[in-house]
Order: sequence, then C-alpha cells, then structure tokens
Amino acid sequence: MIELPRRPRLRTRKGGHVDRDRSLTFRFDGRAYQGHPGDTLASALLAAGVRIVGRSFKYHRPRGIYTAGPEEPNALAGIGTGARATPNSKVTTVELHDGLVARSQNRWPSLALDLMCVNSALSRFLPAGFYYKTFMWPAAFWEKVYEPAIRRAAGLGRASALPDPDHYEACHAHCDVLVVGSGVAGLAAARAAGEAGARVILAEQDFLAGGGLLCEPGQEAWRQEALAALAALPNVTTTLRTTVFGYYEQNMLGALERVADHLPVPPAHQPRQRYWTIRAGEVVLATGADERLIAFPGNDRPGVMLAGAARTYARRFGVLAGSRAVLFANNDEAYGTLAALAEAGAERVTVVDPRPLGPAAAAARRQGFEVLAGHEVTGGHGGRGIYSVEARAIGSAGAFQIDADLLCVSGGYGPAIQLASQSRTAMRWDDRIAAFVPGDAPGQRSAGGARGCFGIAAAARDGLAAGQAAASAAGFAAKAAFALPEGDDPDATVAPFWEVRARGKSFVDLQHDVTTADIRLAHREGYRHIEHAKRYTTHAMATDQGKTGGLVGAAVLAEARGETVAVVGMPTYRPYVSPVTWGAVAGHHRGRAFAPIRRTMLHDWHARRGAEFMEAGLWLRPAFYARPGEAPWDAILREGRAVRQAVGICDVSTLGKIDVQGSDAATFLDRLYTNTFSTLPVGKARYGLMLREDGMVMDDGTTSRLAPDHFFVTTTTANAGRVMEHMEFHAQTVWPELDVQFASVTDQWASMSVAGPEARRTLAKVIAGLDISDAGLPFMGVADATLAGCPVRVFRISFSGELAFEVATPAGYALAVWEAILAAGAEFGIEPYGVEALGLLRIEKGHVAGAELNGQTTMRDVGLGKMAKKGDFVGKVLAGRPGLTDPARPRLVGVRAVDRERQIRPGAHLVEPGSDRSLGWITSVTRSVEPGGWIGLAMLSGDADRHGQRLVAAFPLMNEAVEVEISSPHFVDPENARVRS
Amino acid sequence: MCAAEPRSPLSVVAVPAHPMIAELPSAIVDIAARRGRAGDLAAAIRAEFGLDLPPPGRFAASGDTTAVWIRPETWLVMAPRGAEGALARRLVETAAGAASVVDQSHGKTRVRLAGAAAPRVLAKGCRLDLHPAQFGPGQAAVTPMAQVGAVLLQRDATPAYELVVGSSYAVPFLEWLTDSAAEFAGTH
Repeated sequence: MIELPRRPRLRTRKGGHVDRDRSLTFRFDGRAYQGHPGDTLASALLAAGVRIVGRSFKYHRPRGIYTAGPEEPNALAGIGTGARATPNSKVTTVELHDGLVARSQNRWPSLALDLMCVNSALSRFLPAGFYYKTFMWPAAFWEKVYEPAIRRAAGLGRASALPDPDHYEACHAHCDVLVVGSGVAGLAAARAAGEAGARVILAEQDFLAGGGLLCEPGQEAWRQEALAALAALPNVTTTLRTTVFGYYEQNMLGALERVADHLPVPPAHQPRQRYWTIRAGEVVLATGADERLIAFPGNDRPGVMLAGAARTYARRFGVLAGSRAVLFANNDEAYGTLAALAEAGAERVTVVDPRPLGPAAAAARRQGFEVLAGHEVTGGHGGRGIYSVEARAIGSAGAFQIDADLLCVSGGYGPAIQLASQSRTAMRWDDRIAAFVPGDAPGQRSAGGARGCFGIAAAARDGLAAGQAAASAAGFAAKAAFALPEGDDPDATVAPFWEVRARGKSFVDLQHDVTTADIRLAHREGYRHIEHAKRYTTHAMATDQGKTGGLVGAAVLAEARGETVAVVGMPTYRPYVSPVTWGAVAGHHRGRAFAPIRRTMLHDWHARRGAEFMEAGLWLRPAFYARPGEAPWDAILREGRAVRQAVGICDVSTLGKIDVQGSDAATFLDRLYTNTFSTLPVGKARYGLMLREDGMVMDDGTTSRLAPDHFFVTTTTANAGRVMEHMEFHAQTVWPELDVQFASVTDQWASMSVAGPEARRTLAKVIAGLDISDAGLPFMGVADATLAGCPVRVFRISFSGELAFEVATPAGYALAVWEAILAAGAEFGIEPYGVEALGLLRIEKGHVAGAELNGQTTMRDVGLGKMAKKGDFVGKVLAGRPGLTDPARPRLVGVRAVDRERQIRPGAHLVEPGSDRSLGWITSVTRSVEPGGWIGLAMLSGDADRHGQRLVAAFPLMNEAVEVEISSPHFVDPENARVRS
Repeated sequence: MCAAEPRSPLSVVAVPAHPMIAELPSAIVDIAARRGRAGDLAAAIRAEFGLDLPPPGRFAASGDTTAVWIRPETWLVMAPRGAEGALARRLVETAAGAASVVDQSHGKTRVRLAGAAAPRVLAKGCRLDLHPAQFGPGQAAVTPMAQVGAVLLQRDATPAYELVVGSSYAVPFLEWLTDSAAEFAGTH
C-alpha cells in the first residue's frame, strides 16, 4: 500500500474574521472549491492550495497571489459569466460569495501550460521600449500587421461584449470631514471628528472596517467598540467597499462604492456600483502603508508573497500560505509574520535578513526561529511553486538552498501616498523609514501609516490628533478623548535594501513585467527623469499603479544616476488609485438616457402617425411619415408635393424662441444683427442675420415686433442655446447699460408651419378674430387670433417658398390646434410633413440652413451680402478682413444633376470636366418636386459667372462623378410671388 | 376661453408614477426688472401679492403664490394654474412697466418631490448639499441636475422640494427622478 503524503491543513481551526460554520462554493477555471463568508477569492484559493492564478502580461510567467489587498500586481482574474463577466479583478479584493465563478487570464491554452511563455525565453529580445524600436518600419505595417499581432499577444482580461445588465448611479455627497481608510488611525480620526459634531464620512475600500486591526486579535475589542461608537453617531456615515480613487481640486474626491459586486445579482432597484463625488471641508488621509518588494531574481514566482500578506492570510483569514517559509526582510516590522505563521501551523520559518544581527533577529532566535543575519536571497527554485529558496551571505559567492514552499518578502513600508500626491501635496523624503511622506496641505492631513507613523498605538494617537484638528478646522471644538489602543511602538527605522544583484530577472513591476535591467536600460538610453523612465518602461503604469515596487524602481534609477532617491523622486500619481468601471462613470446616463431627449408636444401624435424620428441636437423630430409599404423617398416627395400643390403642416416647435423686452431692446437687436430692427413696425416680422465676432455667419431667423419695447426672436433649432448665450454675453459684459431683458420661450410656444397654395383657405376655416387675407395679414405680418378656441399668434412667414403661415400656440394647446388645422385641411388634401420634406422645400427655394451656415461662411458667401447695414454691428469689423472679402471665395449656387436620376452627394467637389482642381463643393442635396431629379446647393468659386455651366460633382470616396448644371440657388419662384399671394 | 385643457408635457411619453413625485400644474411667469426699476417692481409686487421679492438663493410665498429668485433682478412667480394667461396679465398690470413679464406656464414644468428619502433621491444628480444645516425651507437654487437646468426650492422640513424644469426636458428629467426614487417607493 502506498502512503500518500499528508496534505498540510491550510485553514486554521479558529481565529480571524471568517465564518467557518458556513461554506460557500465557488469555481475557479471550471473547478469547484469551498470557502467561507469573510474570505476573499484570494484567501479561499490559498486555503484550497491553489498557487498559480495567472500569467504575467509580457513574458507569460506563472504568477501567484502576492498581496492581500488592492495593491495586488499579479492575481487578476475574470469574475462572473456572460454579460456580468468582469475582467482584471484583483482576487485579493474580490469578496467571496456562493456561486462565484472566476477564470484566470492571460494564458493560452491553460494556466499550467501556457504557450506564450516562449516570450520569456525570448525575453532578451523584448527589452523596455521594444515596441517603440522594432515596429517602426515599414510604417504601413503598423496598422495591418504589428498592432493586431501585439494586441492579440498582450493585454489582460477580455471584457464581455454583451450589454451590461446592471445599472449604476453617480451620486453627490458632502461632509465636514472625510476620512479615507478605517485602520486604527482612520477609526480614531473619524470618531474624534464625529464626537466633535462634524459631519463625517468614513470610506473604507475593504468589506470589513479595521485595516491592520483585522490582524490584531488583541485589539479586536477596541475595534468593535470604535465601530459601535461610530454607528451610534448620526452625523457619521461609514461606507464600506468604497474606494476613494481620485483627489481633485478644492477637496473634491471621487469614490467607487461596490454596492453589489459581492452578490450574484444586485437587489431590486439597487445599482451594481455607485460613483460618489464627495465634497469635503477637511480630508484625513488614513490610507495606511504599502509594503515594498525587494528586487531579486525570480521575485515574481508563485510562492513569493509579501510578508504582511502572509501575516494577513494567517491572522485575518486563518489561512496558512505555506508551511515551510522563508522570511526575507530588512525591517523589524516584518518579524511579526513569524509568530503569525507559527500560530497558523507553519512547520518552520527561516529568516534571511541582510542586516547585521539586531534585537528583532535576536528575539526571533530566542523564540526558536533560524535567523541568517547578513544574508540575502538570490532566487527561488520551482516552476509552479517554490520548493527551495537560494540564499547567500552578503559579499560571498557561495549560495545555498533552503527547503521552502513560501517566500515572504518585505523591503519595508511606504506610506500610501497616491491620493496626497494626486492633490499635489508636497512629498518629503524620510530617511528613517526610507520612503516619501506627504506633508499637510490646506484642508488635508495624512494620519497614521499614511504619513509614516507606524505601529498601532502611534497610528491611533496620530489619527485622533488628525481627526480633532480636522474637526476644529471645520469649526467643531474637540470633545474629551476616548481610550486608544496601547502598546509599544516598533522601531520603524529601515536600512534601505532595494535589490539583490544576482543573475536573473529581478522585477520591480510584476504586472507589467518591468525588471531592474529595464530601468537601467531606460537610463542608458537617456530616459533619466523618473517621469520619462516610467513611460519608457511602463513601470508603475499597470492597474496596481506600482504600489509594491514603484519606489524600488525609482531607487534602481537613482543608483544608475548616482543620486539619491530623494533627488530622483517619484512620478506624480494621477487618478485612478484603483480601476473604475465605465458603467459607474456613466451612472444613469447611458443608452437612451445618455443625454436628455427633448420631444415636442406633438410627439405622440407623430408617433401614432408612423413618423420616422431623427435627432436634431437633443430633439427628436419627425423625418417623414411613411405610409405602410411606402419607401422613404416616396413619402418625402409626397409630403413635398402636397406643400407645392395643396397644403402641408409641419411641427417647427423646436426652433429656438427668445422673448426680448426693454426700452433698449431695439437698440440691442440692431447691434447684434447685421440688419436693422429699430425700423421694424409693430406687427411685422423681419428676417435677420447674426455674425460671430470673427465675422462669420452665426445664425439666422425671423424676429417680430410685438410692441415698441417687445420683440420675439427665432433662431435655428441647432443654435438656440448659442444665440441665447451670445445675447447674455453682450448684455452682461459689452453693453450693461442697455435696458434689455430676455427669456427663452422655446418650450412655451409650440409652432407649426401651414404652407401651400391652400394654406389660407385651410386656416380661414378655423381661425377666429383675424382676417388672414393678403390685405388683412400681408407677407411678414404678425397678429394674435384664436384657433379651436385656443390663443394663437400667426406669422405670415415662409421657409418653403409657398404661401405660408406659422401658427404658434402655448405648448399645452398644440395638439388641439394641430388637429383642428388638419381637419380643416382635409378637403384640400393636407399632409403633415417632416424635416426631410422641409429640407427639400428650402433647397428648392434656395434658403440656406445649417449645412451652409456652418461657421465657415460669410454673409456674402451665402448670398446675403446685401443684409449688411451701414452702421456698426457685432462681427462687422472682422468680416472686412481681406480673406473674407476676397471675390474669389466660393459662393452659393444651385446644382442640378443633368441625368435627373443620378444621385449627387453633399461633400462632392465641383470640378471642370477632366480637371482635378476643386472649384467648390456641394453642401445640401435632395430629390426635388418642382425642377425634378436631384438638385442641391453648393459653394462655388466664380458663382454667378458659372450659371448655366456644366461641371462634374466628384465624390472620390465612392468613385462617383456626376455631371451637374450650375444655376441660381432659387429653383422655385425666384420672383418670390407665391409667398406674397 | 380655450376649449381644450392644456396638456401636460409629461403626457407625450408615459413616465412611471411614483408616490414621492407629483406634477403641480401651475401658472409660471418670469419677471425681470427693467433697468433701475427693481425697487418699483418690489413695491408693486408687495402691494399686490403681499410678498417681498426674495434675495438670491431664496423664495417667498404668500397664499398660493410663490416668487423664486432665479437670476439677478429676475424672479419666477408661480401659482396654481388658473385661466390661461391670467397670472401674466395680472403681473403686467402690477409691474406697470417696471418689469419685463414673460408667461412660461407652458414652457416650465413644476413637480413636487417629498419624503424623508428625497435628499437621497436628489443626491443622484444634484451637486448641492441639501443637509438641513446647509439648505432648508425657504431656500432655492438654480442648478443643473442630470444634465437638465432646474430650479430647486425646499417647501418644508418633510422635506418637500419643488423642481421647475423646461417643459421639453420634463420627460427625461422625470425619467431620471423616478428611476432615482425607485428604491424608496415603498419606504417614503
């Protein structure tokens, strides 16, 4: 009988913060495992004996779990399935739930056998800057060959291509004091500020509050008491699973709350995540400290783990990460891992400490641990895990092996300065802990480990002081203090030890596979500045932001430069401290809610009539109303024909409308418009043109005078907001002395255009209180009336070139008025027409619109040069620049396809037959009712001289060349007789 | 007078109902003091409506008439909907040339949001701090919410708020508001 080796027990029988009475089942790469409530995916995988969880980004080296928190560089996995599959999740922060499905990434075909690890063998051909150097030539290869190949080979997890089934919220929060981090310093700060009466938000990224206290059984009572005290304060909000990711101007911070990521499906009406914008009076950064790695060959192997992480797995999760461990550390704090591992059942822990024998090492020896002082680790053996660690006495060449399955590393602790750095707070190098420490800034304090104040008792005192100071700065006097944890503070002094110089790959960035050799290469090639070296090597640019190895890379660069790390510095951190989903950034505003959709008061009528809607800015407008089986162009031509031959009605409520009043209203409009409004009689409308300050046409529309001091201005749909801003700007800053007030009344008035030879007979049937004969309401006349019992204002204006009336009514009556006109027009064959027919009619008439008034055309370009008055107006001076008055500038003409059925396209260039010199371009096209066939408007050099000429409309993108005839843009009724009929 | 009752802008597309949210059909009129006439306007309004035109950030109410400060020397006057144009005509007569008066009864939509959870609903789009220490009954603001420009005022300590938005934005605004309030439908 063969005796199987006894598998060591990896989960302790008691202790920590996991509920061993309940089990959760989860799957990793298809295999089922068990964990407990309180586990992260990482702790559950370690407890199940899983060592390799992913492959590295560039070399596809096998990687294991390296940390126990959001600083994790290695252990990224895809979580969830189908539409909820989320790539690149740090398994060290994924809260275990029943049924969780996780999948390793960046391996093909499988985790154990990864064919891309050939990159590792080729690594000397893949140095830093490799892509920049290699794929430069030939340039044409980049898009077609190099980039697709690189993209296939590189990258991390793949996002689901399915629509996201969850919803997200973007919320705003305000507080007097924001405390980031709920370790002992954060708890003390939040309680101090809360008891002083300040409104406090305590944000913790973990699903348990306590930070390092979760690894201190002796302080559990204090932690519980602190949390109870905070819960009893109504002015304190503690929010777990909330990562503060960004620190912006004026104490505005961004945070991501993972509301339901720890549940299979979000509860009803709950978002998956909330994106918080927090505006804080005072900020206390109690973000703790991150443990640093040491660069030595093979420091990335599965089985290598930060010492603090091994302690966390043992103490918080009751998981033994390895039973025969080596601790490679240069600081006393890391010695705490020895007891944690021993208590969790480790057979043996050997210490390798590069320092001479010190008090901590001596104490460890007394407790029975083997300590190799003055030694260093030069590598680890094993492919899918470690089976031995190679070490040597510093200065000697003779390495020896230590049998081990876990290598714990600690290069010391550095304050987690990402948020402070983002806020541009100055950093100071602290020789004692060999790290950068943030100073205080207005409205901001760092406390505890986040400013190098290590040890539970010291951090608690520091947090208390920071909380009291923050509350006081926010105007709240401190109350009597509460009891703090007691204890001896460890000696945090660290002798910097960045790197073991030995043969092999020593990583400073595990996620991006950046080695010490890459940093030195960057330096040799001239990237001496830390910001340049960072970008050249991509060091600290991965999703972990270099939290474990950033300073080590800076130290390697400093050594290469022959300077100190203090001089070399660290790159400035930028948001985000941890990745944030796009869904959370978008919040409510995605899909149909991406931007508000504006609808007219006739929207439901249009929908019932079968309108095809189109977007016009934020508006939805009917493009055309197709009858069953009718092709779009047939519908558009039918609608256009109705206007030319009988009568049509169009919803033009989206046009911008501005009410302008004041004793100086006429003066104000005279200065804004190129033409004059002070001479306009009451009861009349006038077409107006407005320039930008630079002399280009800004907008056009009709303005009516309702009273001597009261005007009603219309703008195009697209420019309504811009014209209002233009008016506000000039009224407030340029002519503040003028008595003029204005209000947008776009939404107050619904308006509809009734156009066609039968327009008058149609309206006459239903209008009351107004004579709409040509004598009663001449062209450009404006008057009030009633229609279907509703108040209306009738404007005799036309965009189509036909006899037309624009009927405006307070928007709530739009449907009643619209339906009454339709009923009245039935006997004449009235048709509702949409935006497409509106465009057809105005192109036939030669009216310019957005395609011509595109911000690049002058009054003269669009054939409206005569509208410039003698006096001054906005834009007049710059409109006189030589380039804008050059007679050779292309100007408005009409074009018509010689072969009526040949389509012409906007954007086509006009050239002489056989020439490739562009003389101009087509701006708008339509199939037409009256001239027949395809017509359009164009901007053409030589304009009127070319009327009657034949040119070619060339559209090289579609290999089209269509013969066109140039004409006046007025295809219909150039004498303007119909509108006056 | 008009044969038809004015339609609500919220009728063109179905928006789900919510117990915390109700439309307040209103007459709404924009009054802007003519240059140098703010004092005359204030006196005339005080005499006619018995209310003092409020300073920035406030609203004032008398009976069922409310005046909200919305811009320098400009207020929105609101009352329950009556005869078409009646409030605007009364204000024109009252101001007697001291103000430009613009009827916005159809152009603006007024809704009420009330309930203990109302601040949490608004926090999903409103940047302002609505904590009782910062914003209370009598206060008003003009502020963007969910990409829509809105007038916000707090009527009482329930808290009950009123929101006024452009009518063509009423549907998307209410869609956001009811969506944001959905989780509180049973608890208001």
